[in-house]
Amino acid sequence: MSAGLWLCIRLPRLAHEALATTAHPAAAAGRSADHAAIDHAAIQQSAMERLAAWAYQWSSLVSYRLADGPLLWLELGASRALFGGYGALLAKLTAGLTQLGYSHACALAPSPAGAALLTQAGEQRCVTTLPQLRLRLEMLPLALLALPPEVLAALHSAGLRRIGQLLALPAVAIARRFGPAASLYLQRLCGTVSDPRPAWRMPAVYRARFEFDAEVRAATALLFPLRRLLLEFQGYLRGRDCAVLRFTLQFEHYRHPDSAITIGMSAPARDAAQLLLLARERLQALELPAPVSALRLQALEFTAASVLQEDFFGNDAQQLQQLQLLLDRLQARLGDQQVRGLALEADHRPEHSWRFVTPQQSTAVADIPAAARPCMLLQPPRRIEPPALLLSGPERIESGWWDGGDATRDYYVARAGDGAQLWVFQDLAQGDWYLQGLWT
Amino acid sequence: MSTPVTLEQLARLCRDAEGSRGPRPAAAPSGFAELDARLPGGGWPVGAIAELMSDAPGIGELSLIVPVLSRLARAGRHIAWIAPPYLPYAPALAQRGLPLERVLLIQTRSLQESLWAMEQALRCPAVGVVLGWPAYIVDRNVRRLQLAAAAGGSLGILYRPPEAARESSPAALRLRLHAAPDGLAVEIHKSRGGRAGMTLRVGVAVA
Repeated sequence: MSAGLWLCIRLPRLAHEALATTAHPAAAAGRSADHAAIDHAAIQQSAMERLAAWAYQWSSLVSYRLADGPLLWLELGASRALFGGYGALLAKLTAGLTQLGYSHACALAPSPAGAALLTQAGEQRCVTTLPQLRLRLEMLPLALLALPPEVLAALHSAGLRRIGQLLALPAVAIARRFGPAASLYLQRLCGTVSDPRPAWRMPAVYRARFEFDAEVRAATALLFPLRRLLLEFQGYLRGRDCAVLRFTLQFEHYRHPDSAITIGMSAPARDAAQLLLLARERLQALELPAPVSALRLQALEFTAASVLQEDFFGNDAQQLQQLQLLLDRLQARLGDQQVRGLALEADHRPEHSWRFVTPQQSTAVADIPAAARPCMLLQPPRRIEPPALLLSGPERIESGWWDGGDATRDYYVARAGDGAQLWVFQDLAQGDWYLQGLWT
Repeated sequence: MSTPVTLEQLARLCRDAEGSRGPRPAAAPSGFAELDARLPGGGWPVGAIAELMSDAPGIGELSLIVPVLSRLARAGRHIAWIAPPYLPYAPALAQRGLPLERVLLIQTRSLQESLWAMEQALRCPAVGVVLGWPAYIVDRNVRRLQLAAAAGGSLGILYRPPEAARESSPAALRLRLHAAPDGLAVEIHKSRGGRAGMTLRVGVAVA
């Protein structure tokens, strides 16, 4: 029978390593022991949820177990072809887990229980067929079996030392002597009986939470845990084959209401490095109202990832992507309203014949004025003394009551004492002179 | 036996490799023949910083670079204006052939933000020219911007006050601009790989 192929990841220090600190996670494990108040079970649970989402990028059947040492399974039957063989996939997984800061041991076997057992074997932790698995198990010590301690003790006192000795006994005899559960476990271990695992369900929205073992006071100190958070988020996005246009970072504070920032992008993204870059710009400018005790990442809306590739091919596409990255960075640090484009407006009044638009926005073509216009405009016009030297003009521009101002202006090019050429007008109703532009 | 390679050698190898894929012009023609004849490579230094020190605002200091802005923008590169002292006037830019959809106008609240935005824009290969008006800038920052321009293959134009000519600067090209009856008197204050000390008349069409 085909039991599929299971990759099992043992995470022996999950609870400690999941506790994010501003330092390297290795430092967290030692320190967190002092904090009795920390709920390790809850932290372990939320860390495993995030890891399951992260692992989903490589397998559509992910399962985990927290009791008796955290284990995460990925069913790999269909994924093998996708990732260039098991070796390449294992290398990717191991590198990813190391990057996330989790100690881990991986094993591959055609049964979930077999893979779990092999994570504890010193070497040869990858077998792909049932006969290979059986051979490998036979050599290993009995103590590795996930059986109750009293059963293991009984086996030991019966003189059994290796798993092979136990497997040589008839299944009926094992069931009679040690109970049906032990017999079933052994059959599942060897892959002769199916071992259905509860499939982890991908949540429709993404919510991740990081608790700190010490207060974080500087916004920039959040970058290290945030990097980890975004790497896991990237795994989730890949697994769902989608991207985001915005996500929210929420900060939990001691004795202070939560605060939050939302980070938006001009194009769908899911690259952790890109998301981190944007978040960093925002964090650098952020004043925290109080020290942070936990960090949450939330994304509620997702876009199809196909949009990512659709627009981006060839040279122009690459340039567009680079530009979008630039715009995102500028807007993240300076604010959306600080980065704009320009467009023409069909209006004969100089101060109304243009407008701000969002960058790159293509606009309907408005008529370009026939008479020459200066490159720089003063907004609003500045009242000046009547100019001494007029070089050309006048150009009469009238606006009637329908424009909201009944005014007639005569425009001239004037020269200032320092040689600057000015665009000036006289308001014919009042007789006052104004400077409106520079012929730079 | 392995050959020891210094970082500089490695950088040169990378540059050469890049050049062999398709030579990137070292200069962008200014649109003024009299100026191009005096500039190394025959135009504005691409991948570097040029400083323009104008006696006064409004003598044609922008008109001098509008042709290169239009040309690069029509070739698909963007033009980033970082905190200009006045509003770039869209009808005037359109009249001079600059496609407005390539214009990025970036407002900042401090000199530090302006320098940061300039650096980001210069590094972006989608941007052709970055214009900046820093009130004050130290050599170290000009050098930073120059590195960014080299990385992005872009041209950085820094408008600086005339007093800046008294100090040295790492910028590849430094021009002093004086008002002249029929356009602009351009004094080549410094020109990396070219000759300095010359003043020429450039017939920029101002008004």
